[in-house]
Amino acid sequence: MAQEVNLDSLKELEREAILQVLYRDQAVQSIEEERIRKLQTQLQHLRWKGAKSAGREYTGKSCARCQSVLGLLLHRGAVCQGCSHRVCSKCRVFLRGTHVWKCTVCFEDRNVKIKTGQWFFEERAKKFPNEGKHETVGAKLLQSYQKPSKISVVPPTPPPFSKSQCGSSPGRLQELGQFKGFNKSVENLFLSVATHIKKLSKSQNDMTSEKHLLATGPRQHAGRTERRSQSDTAVNVTTRKVPTLDVLKPLNQQDSKSATLPVLKQGNHAANLMPRRSFSGGSRHGSLISINSTCTEMGNFDNANVTGEIEFAIGYCFKTHSLEICIKACKNLAYGEEKKKKEFFCKTYVKTYLLPDRSSQGKRKTVVQRNTVDPHFQETLKYQVDPAQLVTRWLQVSVWHLGTLTRRVFLGEVIIPLATWDFEDSATQSFHWYPLRAKAEKHEDGVPQNNGELAVRAKLVLPAGPRNSQQAPEGTDEPPPNGQLCLVVLGAKNLPVRSDGTLNSFVKGCLTLPDQQRLRLKSPVVKKQACPQWKHSFVFSGVTASQLRQASLELSVWDHAVFGVNDRLLGAARLGPKGDALGAADSCAQSKLHWQKVLSSPNLWTDMTLTLH
Amino acid sequence: LFFPYPQMASATDSRYGQKESSDQNFDYMFKILIIGNSSVGKTSFLFRYADDSFTPAFVSTVGIDFKVKTIYRNDKRIKLQIWDTAGQERYRTITTAYYRGAMGFILMYDITNEESFNAVQDWSTQIKTYSWDNAQVLLVGNKCDMEDERVVSSERGRQLADHLGFEFFEASAKDNINVKQTFERLVDVICEKMSESLDTADPAVTGAKQGPQLTDQQAPPHQDCAC
Ligand SMILES: Nc1nc2c(ncn2[C@@H]2O[C@H](COP(=O)(O)OP(=O)(O)O)[C@@H](O)[C@H]2O)c(=O)[nH]1
Ligand SMILES: [Mg+2]
Ligand SMILES: [Zn+2]
Ligand SMILES: [Zn+2]
Repeated sequence: MAQEVNLDSLKELEREAILQVLYRDQAVQSIEEERIRKLQTQLQHLRWKGAKSAGREYTGKSCARCQSVLGLLLHRGAVCQGCSHRVCSKCRVFLRGTHVWKCTVCFEDRNVKIKTGQWFFEERAKKFPNEGKHETVGAKLLQSYQKPSKISVVPPTPPPFSKSQCGSSPGRLQELGQFKGFNKSVENLFLSVATHIKKLSKSQNDMTSEKHLLATGPRQHAGRTERRSQSDTAVNVTTRKVPTLDVLKPLNQQDSKSATLPVLKQGNHAANLMPRRSFSGGSRHGSLISINSTCTEMGNFDNANVTGEIEFAIGYCFKTHSLEICIKACKNLAYGEEKKKKEFFCKTYVKTYLLPDRSSQGKRKTVVQRNTVDPHFQETLKYQVDPAQLVTRWLQVSVWHLGTLTRRVFLGEVIIPLATWDFEDSATQSFHWYPLRAKAEKHEDGVPQNNGELAVRAKLVLPAGPRNSQQAPEGTDEPPPNGQLCLVVLGAKNLPVRSDGTLNSFVKGCLTLPDQQRLRLKSPVVKKQACPQWKHSFVFSGVTASQLRQASLELSVWDHAVFGVNDRLLGAARLGPKGDALGAADSCAQSKLHWQKVLSSPNLWTDMTLTLH
Repeated sequence: LFFPYPQMASATDSRYGQKESSDQNFDYMFKILIIGNSSVGKTSFLFRYADDSFTPAFVSTVGIDFKVKTIYRNDKRIKLQIWDTAGQERYRTITTAYYRGAMGFILMYDITNEESFNAVQDWSTQIKTYSWDNAQVLLVGNKCDMEDERVVSSERGRQLADHLGFEFFEASAKDNINVKQTFERLVDVICEKMSESLDTADPAVTGAKQGPQLTDQQAPPHQDCAC
């Protein structure tokens, strides 16, 4: 259902008032999300606690919740209709005023659905299947509005020029319907932000002036910009631009410093609302991913009807910084071969990742166990991880069937947020049975589904002459092909870092022209940084606007390997007329929009934050 | 190797629940939207309920606003986020954008204003268009303290509500008539919808209707997986 959120017709003061309300709402929302997160963790703990414990042989004749022994004739227990586990009479909860019961876990599950409002989201999804869970329109608007508000607290050291973070929101434009209108309204929001900023710092004029540019068309305000852009074309962009980029620093320091205004705290929150790549299969991987097989999780695989459980224990040694996952066994697994439901064909292995790192370096596998749906592994998978890193990770334990011709079948997974895992508590170190889950259609709460964000600014430099030639109809006096696409790769954050929390990262840029000609550039390596700041310029010369309109630019971030051969792909994003095929539909639209903006505002910098996939 | 710790089964869960900040001290949250023509008394109604205040001055609401109130209902603490919307057309795009997040609606008209009553049908269409399918709506005829200037009879209000499938109240923000009752009734009907939604979608209930298994001995003959 298309719905245009349009604040166009509103006066500036009105917009300000509305934005105040949106901020208040966001504060309420973030408290609510925190509460929901806790509830879900609680439920998970109840599941784990109830699941069969270490050392106990699973015979099927004990209560699935408290493990009390069930008899053959008396005290046989009964099967919970919710989870089909057999439970004793003590582990049943009767729904108020009925004879209907559920096992303790299923009952709690229902409770959590009520408490988190999940019931409503599920009901609503029947009518609006694409609706995100917790976001509101306000969140979306604010998200687009975050970055400028951050700039407003930059100490007023006059930057030679600073553009607004116009394109910086990877918001869910799609869901907002016609994004023309949305974009317009966002720009109006910027306009109002600009007034704020004026009050704070006169040196931020450029942002306001660009805002006027956007509102009134590129010609009237060209004066100032033109001067600047001429010098840009004349001089080596690489050296000229770098010192000016400091203005963006606060963006990357948001966690520590800029949280002085209550509003700014919400910035981090908004970042959490960024589009996530959905998990459901390999349908979307583009060329960048396919040339590199490291992101195996994105590859093609089949799904089985997930059943069964997996038993493992997690331990962490604070002295050696070693995380050990001891995989013991699985039971009641689904058959990997739909047609051949025989144990004879079973070939099962278990794989782990410490999300968000989905690279091959972060992958651990057990050996393949054959001929049973209840395989025993008794294998310990190890990671070296700093404690500080550990709490930012999710342990993903997935079970796979190795089919013929290396076709893999997904048999289920367990995802454990290590942030809430108490490694000092001995109870959490013992073996537990965890029910296997299907890959969530939408993302699990909190589990990062992208590989970070890349901040870049881009500009199309056209030679002096008919300035708006790119708006002229196709074919009429196209300027000679000596245009340049200038790109400054600023920095990245939330990358899937190594287990020591750092990276030696660099960026590759590849511009593919309509004739399939490829121009490739590479940045230097920035060493030992989790949030690298390259501030490196790529200049693609000898291109025309019309070429670029059909070109696509792929930017990929890599972790440099010591011996250079096994550089690890951390994530990639694509800009171009077709959008970002690597990401979800929303980042695709966003990428298209960025590209259009760059092409339609020659000689002006466009800042953007790209979601890496 | 570090798995040889002794087992302490119940050590984990006591850590949760204690740390709950007062902010989060409620069981669940409902979002409610108040809609209706401009000046029917939506803002006054909300202020009366949330702050127990009333002002005769008319300050037109800009776009949207909300208040939060936590109530105790059916043994549960329910946090209400109540959105107040501007009635004017020019705010329509922003206000309708909020319909999707709302579990229930208060659709208000002014009993002294025929036009506001005639608009009810349109507002209800807005709900149908922009909200989820089970949206709960209460129709409220406000300003019932102004009996002398009444132009919409109670009977017409009730008939329209019946026609639209909404429950109906007449109320006064000024004299604090039926304000609390309206919100509480809305909370109750949302709760009813919630149970309905959870328990019809739920094999536990439908399955068990055939014969609840009350004791250990009465294990069902077939223990096929219900999932
Ligand atoms: N007599 C009377 N006046 C009311 C009542 N509720 C609101 N008003 C008045 O009606 C005007 C409009 O109220 P307001 O709440 O701003 O309407 P809104 O535009 O729907 O939010 C104000 O002057 C209020 O004081 C009521 O119950 N009785
Ligand atoms: Mg009002
Ligand atoms: Zn039991
Ligand atoms: Zn159950």
